[in-house]
Amino acid sequence: MFKKILIANRGEIAVRVIQTCKDMNIKTVAVYSDADKTALHVLEADEAVHIGPSDPSQSYLAMDKIIGAALKTRAQAIHPGYGFLSENPEFVEKCTQAEIVFIGPSAQAIRKMGDKITSRKIMMAGGVPITPGLTGSHHTLDEMGQKADEIGYPVLIKATAGGGGKGIRIVHSQEELSDACESASREAKNAFGNPDIYLEKFFPRARHIEFQILADNFGNTIHLLERECSIQRRHQKIIEETPSPAVSPSLREEMGNTAVTAAKAAEYVNAGTIEFLLDDQNRYYFLEMNTRLQVEHPVTEMITGIDLVRQQLEIAAGNPLTLTQSDISARGHAIECRIYAEDPENDFFPSPGKIEFFKEPGGPGIRNDSGIYSGCTVPVEYDPILSKLTTHGETRDQTIAKMIKALKSYIVLGVKTPIDFLIDILSSPPFKEGDVFTNFIDTHFSTWKPTEKNRDLACLAFLVDEVCKKKNRSTDGDEKKQPPGPFHTLGNWNL
Amino acid sequence: MEYNLQIKDKTITVEMTLKQDCWLSATIKNSPDDRTDYEQIQYGRISDHQVRLMVNGQQINAWIIDQTDGKTIIIGGERFFIQDKDKLAQTQTLNPRTDKGPDQVTPPMPAVVINVPVQLGDIVEKGDTVVVVSAMKMETSLVAPHGGTITRIGINEGDKVMPGDILIDIEKNEVDKIEIN
Repeated sequence: MFKKILIANRGEIAVRVIQTCKDMNIKTVAVYSDADKTALHVLEADEAVHIGPSDPSQSYLAMDKIIGAALKTRAQAIHPGYGFLSENPEFVEKCTQAEIVFIGPSAQAIRKMGDKITSRKIMMAGGVPITPGLTGSHHTLDEMGQKADEIGYPVLIKATAGGGGKGIRIVHSQEELSDACESASREAKNAFGNPDIYLEKFFPRARHIEFQILADNFGNTIHLLERECSIQRRHQKIIEETPSPAVSPSLREEMGNTAVTAAKAAEYVNAGTIEFLLDDQNRYYFLEMNTRLQVEHPVTEMITGIDLVRQQLEIAAGNPLTLTQSDISARGHAIECRIYAEDPENDFFPSPGKIEFFKEPGGPGIRNDSGIYSGCTVPVEYDPILSKLTTHGETRDQTIAKMIKALKSYIVLGVKTPIDFLIDILSSPPFKEGDVFTNFIDTHFSTWKPTEKNRDLACLAFLVDEVCKKKNRSTDGDEKKQPPGPFHTLGNWNL
Repeated sequence: MEYNLQIKDKTITVEMTLKQDCWLSATIKNSPDDRTDYEQIQYGRISDHQVRLMVNGQQINAWIIDQTDGKTIIIGGERFFIQDKDKLAQTQTLNPRTDKGPDQVTPPMPAVVINVPVQLGDIVEKGDTVVVVSAMKMETSLVAPHGGTITRIGINEGDKVMPGDILIDIEKNEVDKIEIN
């Protein structure tokens, strides 16, 4: 096993990888930009190397600087996390040239799966069902229009590179097509450096179901069940769960086998995810393969009891999988909520700033993968994810109740978060019934406003805070030199 | 004491009487015929960011932070931004700020201009996209706050812009709506 690895990422996922490394007695090296000098991942790692200015292109995306940092600190391997360089085949090649192990798949597998068109072709050849749409990458607007007419609107315009909800547009009619293609292509070029787009059928009532797979260098490939990721805003998942309320045991077995077939068709090694669309007729289609650790991996870890980062490290170190398909079974239910610094009342616009106060929820079956602390700053330059809150219970109902409880005691002051929005989704009848689909938020919550059930109490708290501050001020300069603690200000409690 | 608190566009009047030790009573008026009396409230401050109330025998924890012109308060998973209207009026007369109101085209956070789909002299309707900006890798459209004619475009594609920067001026048309039959 490796003695020391470098984590080419930041925020919660870098901290998550460090956690497992500590469990395994592997030393860790963090890298950081100007904006992240005192970020949590820097504080948690054994060593930290400054790699440049805040702009990602000059730090977290600067391959030579990161490889330089690994060489300098004698790290034997690099874990890329998700985003940034995690799905960049050139980076994998550079690691190999520098004799550093990339903890992930081969450059070739990333290249094949990273290009949505190539991956669609491979899956088709392997007998995996794909969504109706184009299978070439350079299309004129006329060709796109023709295909759209053929498969019927609404259609989805997607970037052939990348993922993460960038470069995607839903088009409902021919008139919108040209504008949507133009802006999707521009966003794709900015995010991935590749403006190519293609088109596929959009299923408004479909579910997004993905399968976690693990594959070693010895031809062993297994799946670790599914994740239901249908609750999305701005084409980004915000609530994920497993098992999916829509997947029956027989469908699970069938889709799981297909996922393994898909991973084998891609000659894939390490942890990866096969994403499927499941329509309301229980037909499923391959969407794409994510060749990295997924943001929402904790739900799988909760129900299977398997540490996916540990598995990644074992596979990358050249060890065979010790698990077989029959070892994988689910216990209970898990839900993850992504907590972003964003404003749910303003189209989820990012809300960066200083975290003035942060209190995590706790208790049995509650896990928070966080990248922040009281006093840290959420920089403008990066994805504004603060943490991922995951709960695990015996049943789906118990897990939902536990999540609502956890969200209510999750306190972040200084930036806005969608916590109240998430509570309302989890409490809503369609969510509770498991009737979720990718357009869920637009359908049920497009005009969401906070219900303000506690408005009176908030007003009282406002005034109490003022009163207490005034009292503090008036006692300043008195004989009491000590600032008043809770025992001074609390008075007599009758509990 | 009477306070006028502002939450979004709603004004809430609170009559509060401080009693001995850490007790108070209050009446909250959401509107003239919607009032709630809270007879016995026990209160205390736990830390800089936490107060505790005992309301009708129920313990309530609230988390609070002072911000410019108000406080953010979190209770039971809900977030409120509350302002003291009377204080606000005072500070505003002391430092009259240039009002950037909702009538201007300005980004909600530091961003980069991606596209300006309008030209000088264009007539736009309320809600039309006039600037596309990108922040945290996400494209967002800034829309015309009202209909009118574009009289100034102060930015180019690729410019970095800050909240408060007025990117585009739109002059309201004299006649709000021309009737078309």
